[in-house]
Amino acid sequence: MNDSYITTFFHWISVAVALVLIAAGLYLFLHYIVRWHQKQALGLALVSPWIIGFAVFTAGPLVYSLYLSFTQYSLFGNPKWVGLQNYINLFTHDPQFWPSVKLTMLYALITVPIGVVGSLLIAILMNQKVRGIGIFRVIFYLPAVLPDVAVALIWRWLFNGHGLFNYLLSPFMHIMHVSNIDWFGKAQYVLPAFSIMSIWGIFGANAVIFLAALQEVSKSYYEVADLDGATKFQKLWFITIPLISPIILLQIIQGIIGALQIFSVAMFVRPTTSAGEFMNQLIYERGFTQMHMGEASSIAWFLFAIILIFTLLIFKSSTAWVYYESNIKR
Amino acid sequence: MKLRKLSTAVLAVLMCFSAVEGCSPTPGNGETSSSGRATIRLATWAGSEESKELQKIIDKLNSKSTSYKIVQESNPADYDTRIKTQLSGSSGPDVFWVSAQNASQLATRGAMLDITDYLKKSSNEAAKTSDYIGTTLNTFTVNNKIYGLPWCEQPVIMYYNKDLFDKLKVAEPTDSWDWNTFVEDAKKLTIDKNGKHYGESGFNKSQIVQWGTSLNGWPPVQMFIWQNNGDVISEDMKNCPIDTKEAIGGFKFYANLLNSPLVPTQQEIKDHGFDQMFKDGQVAMFMGGAADSLETQVKFNCEVSVVPAGPTGTKATFGDEDGMAINANTKNKDEAFKAFIDLTEAIQEWKVMPPRKSMNSLTVLDKQHLNRAKSMPEIEKSMSFARQYRYYDNYADWDDIFNKEIMDKIINGNDTNVESLVKSAKADLVSKLKK
Repeated sequence: MNDSYITTFFHWISVAVALVLIAAGLYLFLHYIVRWHQKQALGLALVSPWIIGFAVFTAGPLVYSLYLSFTQYSLFGNPKWVGLQNYINLFTHDPQFWPSVKLTMLYALITVPIGVVGSLLIAILMNQKVRGIGIFRVIFYLPAVLPDVAVALIWRWLFNGHGLFNYLLSPFMHIMHVSNIDWFGKAQYVLPAFSIMSIWGIFGANAVIFLAALQEVSKSYYEVADLDGATKFQKLWFITIPLISPIILLQIIQGIIGALQIFSVAMFVRPTTSAGEFMNQLIYERGFTQMHMGEASSIAWFLFAIILIFTLLIFKSSTAWVYYESNIKR
Repeated sequence: MKLRKLSTAVLAVLMCFSAVEGCSPTPGNGETSSSGRATIRLATWAGSEESKELQKIIDKLNSKSTSYKIVQESNPADYDTRIKTQLSGSSGPDVFWVSAQNASQLATRGAMLDITDYLKKSSNEAAKTSDYIGTTLNTFTVNNKIYGLPWCEQPVIMYYNKDLFDKLKVAEPTDSWDWNTFVEDAKKLTIDKNGKHYGESGFNKSQIVQWGTSLNGWPPVQMFIWQNNGDVISEDMKNCPIDTKEAIGGFKFYANLLNSPLVPTQQEIKDHGFDQMFKDGQVAMFMGGAADSLETQVKFNCEVSVVPAGPTGTKATFGDEDGMAINANTKNKDEAFKAFIDLTEAIQEWKVMPPRKSMNSLTVLDKQHLNRAKSMPEIEKSMSFARQYRYYDNYADWDDIFNKEIMDKIINGNDTNVESLVKSAKADLVSKLKK
């Protein structure tokens, strides 16, 4: 084994030992000194490695990035406090900021409804009792196990000048005397191209979650509806959708967060800058190419604020359309 | 009770592991190993083949040295991001390859070791600063202090498909060719499906099968602006003269050429590959870096020449530089410098073109690059008028605006209204210059 691997191995073993010792120490402290009940002390001691990991790798950097967003920091030296200057520059001077916000928001607003409705329809299809449905479910779930970059590669191939999409559109383009569409090179095509790519998201995990929700709906509701002579659409609209509405809420929120945070596919496909840049790409560029960590952090926190506002609005609206059985007064 | 004993045993074993870790045999950055030699970690962006060639050089140096052992860490994927984050933390390599653009950015931020005094004391040939050609050291110099050394400067040269020139009876490029002759040649070499060339009656521009040349942002527009006696950043770094008649002329030549049928569309370039189109015989003239050595990679008869001069005869080409530096936080600075300077000299002998006068004689170059002897005179000529960008600490900010506000719109937006693009970007560009 290479020397460097042995060092790394022992290094991480020592980290594990340290965590075990901390957990043991915490248990002893809580149980024998603070006089907590044994089970309480043991519980907290056992989750302490996770709490430490969360504090060090998630909460700490999160708070630090908020601080950095008010500073000028280039990765080297000490951050210099500049107050709200980064935010003011973004909102008033930065020529790339608002176009990237617009592109990201439009992408989310177009793709999330398509994704939620599409995956629900796929789930309804997968919920049918037909021969070989298990095979269909496996096939439909396959996209969920494919890495983003592999998927992006396929899409890039489909969208290239002589790819499938241009081939399918070629008769129309020929009539209109238009040359092959440069999907990732022109601003007017980037959004449609990424939106088409997002259709991929209607398969896989989202559809499977909907399928699980559909299978939870009690058959008795449909039997009663059948007795009342309800049509298939009425059963879908008045029984299925209300009963799975908490899952729809979950999917919308997850979809919004995922869409606004689009990064790996966009970085791999790399539309030209004049065609458009998503917010996370801008963050990456500002942080790592231009070494302005303060500006990058301020864009990240603005993105966080957008996600938070969207999420709160959806939650707020959910009281009007999400049906929780537990809320029914019996 | 059994559980308690088991827990104690597990803890004891784990503690042994942790104790062993404390006396682990492998040294870290610049630390001295038990053999008495300092381990010097070298970070590079070398791809797999390049990395194998580099390893041979490193093996030779390691076998000669009694004081250091260089360990290569090649990470071509996203190298710049990786090196910046490594250097900002404590996991940085001792010595690292650095591009010209990142050099001043990292040097001004204290990430690169000031090697001015080390160079003065060193007897290594690569340490003689007076031997470096023209302005090649400027990239690695901040406030008269030297923070790294270039190991290669590759000027942009013209690779051309001699078979196509001969077939279409086009005269080969000479020292006197300029924009006009270049465009005329490109027209003759741009052929449609029916064999008609650009400008010939019946030429169908929607059925081109062979293009005169190719552009996609490379080579940089600055090269054409310099050829037209203009510039994009003034010498005193206070202004961006992009709206002068000369600069506008350079931009326009570039934009008109790029949006003409003489150059494949950007979509075609993306689909078929920029240099691949030249290698496949679809593009007759290709402006590439001297180190690309395309003439050794193609099946047809490929030759090289200098790039065309501007309309007034001004010769200029872009000289891209790559170099190496030492991590300012390395633990063993002396040994890191020894490894650095030995390696710099060895790489300068390996790469085209070495940025040193003493290495730029044809006798030396021909010996070092036997398979490129025929190309060396043109490459050497190109070196004599190669220029670099005027890099400074926040050059990346300037470059970002230049590319997004002007070049991307010309290249991907097919915008040929150069005056308007330049006018709207100028204030932003000036605001990003050194204060």
